[in-house]
Amino acid sequence: MKLRRLLAFSRKEVIEISRDRFTIGVALFMPVMMLFLFVYGITLDVENAPLMVVDHDKSAASRELQARFVNSGYFMLKAAPEDERAAEHALMRGETRAALFIPKGFARRLGRGDGAPVQFVVDGTYASTAAILSAYGRAILYAFPGELRLPVQPEVRVWYNPQLRSRNFIVPGLFAVILMAFPPLLTALAVSREKELGTIAQIYASPLTRGEFIAGKLLPYAGIAFLELLIVVIGGLVWFQVPVRGSLTLLLAVGLLYVVCTVSIGLLVSTLVRTQLAAMLTALIVTLMPAFLFSGFIYPIFTMPAGFQIYASAFPTRYFLELSRGIVLRGAGLRELWPNVAVLAAYTVVVFAIAAWRFRKRIA
Amino acid sequence: MSQPVVVAEALGRRYGRRQVLDGVSFEVGPGEVFGVVGPDGAGKTTLLQILAAILRPTTGSCRVLGEDVRRASERVQARIGYMSQGFSLYDKLTVAENIAFAADIRDVPPAALAERRTRLLAMAGLERFEARREGQLSGGMRKKLALCANLIHEPPLLILDEPSLGVDPLSRRELWRILDQAKADGRSIVFATSYMDEADASDRVLLLRDGRPLAIGAPADLRSQAKGRVYRVVTADPGPTERQLSANPEVISFQRRAGDELRVQMRSQAPPRLSGDARAEAAEPSMEDVFTVASAPPPAPVGTAEPAPPERPATTAAPDVIVAEGVARRFGDFKAVDDVTLSVAPGEVLGLLGPNGAGKTTLIRILCGLLAPSAGRARVAGFDVAGQSEAVRARIGYMSQRFSLYPDLSARENLLFFARAYGVPRAELKARIAWAAARAGLEGEGEETVSSLSGATRQRLALACAMVHRPQVLFLDEPTSGVDPLSRFRFWRLIAALAADGVGVVVTTHYLEEATFCDRLGLMMDGRLIALGPLADLTAELGLETATVEDVFLGFIARERAARRAA
Repeated sequence: MKLRRLLAFSRKEVIEISRDRFTIGVALFMPVMMLFLFVYGITLDVENAPLMVVDHDKSAASRELQARFVNSGYFMLKAAPEDERAAEHALMRGETRAALFIPKGFARRLGRGDGAPVQFVVDGTYASTAAILSAYGRAILYAFPGELRLPVQPEVRVWYNPQLRSRNFIVPGLFAVILMAFPPLLTALAVSREKELGTIAQIYASPLTRGEFIAGKLLPYAGIAFLELLIVVIGGLVWFQVPVRGSLTLLLAVGLLYVVCTVSIGLLVSTLVRTQLAAMLTALIVTLMPAFLFSGFIYPIFTMPAGFQIYASAFPTRYFLELSRGIVLRGAGLRELWPNVAVLAAYTVVVFAIAAWRFRKRIA
Repeated sequence: MSQPVVVAEALGRRYGRRQVLDGVSFEVGPGEVFGVVGPDGAGKTTLLQILAAILRPTTGSCRVLGEDVRRASERVQARIGYMSQGFSLYDKLTVAENIAFAADIRDVPPAALAERRTRLLAMAGLERFEARREGQLSGGMRKKLALCANLIHEPPLLILDEPSLGVDPLSRRELWRILDQAKADGRSIVFATSYMDEADASDRVLLLRDGRPLAIGAPADLRSQAKGRVYRVVTADPGPTERQLSANPEVISFQRRAGDELRVQMRSQAPPRLSGDARAEAAEPSMEDVFTVASAPPPAPVGTAEPAPPERPATTAAPDVIVAEGVARRFGDFKAVDDVTLSVAPGEVLGLLGPNGAGKTTLIRILCGLLAPSAGRARVAGFDVAGQSEAVRARIGYMSQRFSLYPDLSARENLLFFARAYGVPRAELKARIAWAAARAGLEGEGEETVSSLSGATRQRLALACAMVHRPQVLFLDEPTSGVDPLSRFRFWRLIAALAADGVGVVVTTHYLEEATFCDRLGLMMDGRLIALGPLADLTAELGLETATVEDVFLGFIARERAARRAA
């Protein structure tokens, strides 16, 4: 491998990128846009869910119970119709997510110390939201009118993200997804563009070796990807104020390993296809889709069926995502995370090797 | 002669079931210029890619610069210069950056780079454009730059795939001057071309057709082999003579040139028998004649020969089918067509000649009503192209460069689709399709899918589709690009027959020799029509006695440049 040829090739690539508005836009603007869209758009927190209350008791106690629901911040009172059917229709039409039915005699039975039945109905269409709402409702009901004295005194604590802010969870996940979405796409396009325009024939008929070609393409695109990492890390930590409990240096170091890995995937894709269109579609299918759905970004891997857990393990996003969340949320270090670093490193070496082996200085 | 630079033995290449190259053997000596000549699809690119060691041959063996192209491909690749078809440099890099890049990846000593760059760019006339991006150069300049990039490491062998395709005649001459210098420096050159006249620039040529070698040898030797089989026929009334020639099984092909002169290629060394005043005299064979003679198909069985050309009617005083006045079209700051004025009479064939980017296609699109002119007016078949484009489009036929046929439909289905799309009445469909197919010389190909047809058959099918609705004007945009001479001659005879029916025809081409088939010529350069008239008049206008079309074109370019400098 000759350094001069490799650097000349990388330099050419950098000049081309710097003069191409599309590439710069995709490389630097799109990740920022994706960061903002996702953090503002995806929130797993449930707030102000519409609630209908059908109160047949109309007592001080029943009004107090309503107030507890609304004051919790999780629910907002949508309407208080006189009969059950109106509330059922509202549920059916999707106008309300939950309904609370308080029967006549609620206050009297409560005062007597008998069990006072109320019905709390939750729309189960969105299963995860329903689970959260029913848990919230149950907690409010158990604490009414006063704290229940149970034989066991549980002291439940949420570690690492005590306020359960979903952006603390989304942002470090996005680091993994964004770096899988754009760098491989750009890299695959860069190589297939040369194939499509025919400029690659000049490269084939030259002393430039395939190692120099692959490394020469990897260097600038890994550089851009690392720049993307810096941008989204700064955006996430400064703008969205996600606290980093662990070492920022460690995050950037494993990030560098990860971008080399994702750019290598782009190179591998480019050795399999001839046209830019095919490169784009293949890149989207092998990178973006699994990164969103099978990385644990939103849907945890440990709840997936065994087969899908294996499928998810075939893509590198899950390993970096665990690293990223581990470092940012849990403050974990290499001592805890080294297996993931090892897997990622091995993955990178294998993908790079296959890409270099697949790349031939030949037309067909 | 010392060690040959290229030794190819029985080279063959298959893609799947398709054999694109078969049994090609030749040698190229040091300092030799070797031309690979043939139409599109002949296997030229495949052969050159094998020589450049970027494509493995499936059969045969090949040594380039003493190295085996299979086993030592990297060593071959490192030492040659290879220029692929089209534009092979980086359009976002400047001229200087492209040269520096080429030098760096080809291990040119930095000390030698500056001197070589200056010398090469000066020779290519590019020294003033070092800071300009490659994508902003003209087509001819881009080709010259690509050649410089391939000479920067001073390779002993240059492999060039259609270097002058679509390049203006001036740049083409400059390109060849650079190549002459490379040859003088002792480099061997292997180049491919579909321009038969370029073959004369080589020491030896290989004629390829359908992947097989037709002939190999020095151009002069090949021409002398064809001697006695090529004739010039002069007659006052070419109509009956053409009918006689097409009935004669000994005739391979014939072409009507301007001035009612006919050129005939024969199967054996005997002149065609002719009656009346027609005289056949032996002519000096051109490379095109050589190719035609070498690729002669077996004589067609009686009765299936193409229909004899009809009698050409006396020109009537019918109004012109195309009248364009001061037509212009801008794209941003770029003037694609600039102040073009021309007219075409019914039954007239107007040839628009010019390099890629001269504005031929844009002009045709304006006249077809597909693109509004930004200035000027044009009437086609009596309707305004801007205001009444619907009426214009119903009365014209348009055959585009890429023959817009549906590859998965059969020839008949394509014809049926175009006939319906143009609103041919249901009752007439069958008769009209049969008429168009016969007119275009389509025989039994009706049920075959287009993708399985040869380029020449597709070309004739596209013509049939363009005229199935009996248009008054026919626009043909580079219809003969890359088709072998025999099929091109046949195609031009079909066009002549259509013109004889009174159809006005506008044809663009970058085969300058085809200009002689047209009644009048329009020479285009940078969007302007720099000359318009019959070839003989244009030749006379330049004060020349006899001249090739290229000389005429160059003469008008020089005149245009001088006029612009004076302005």
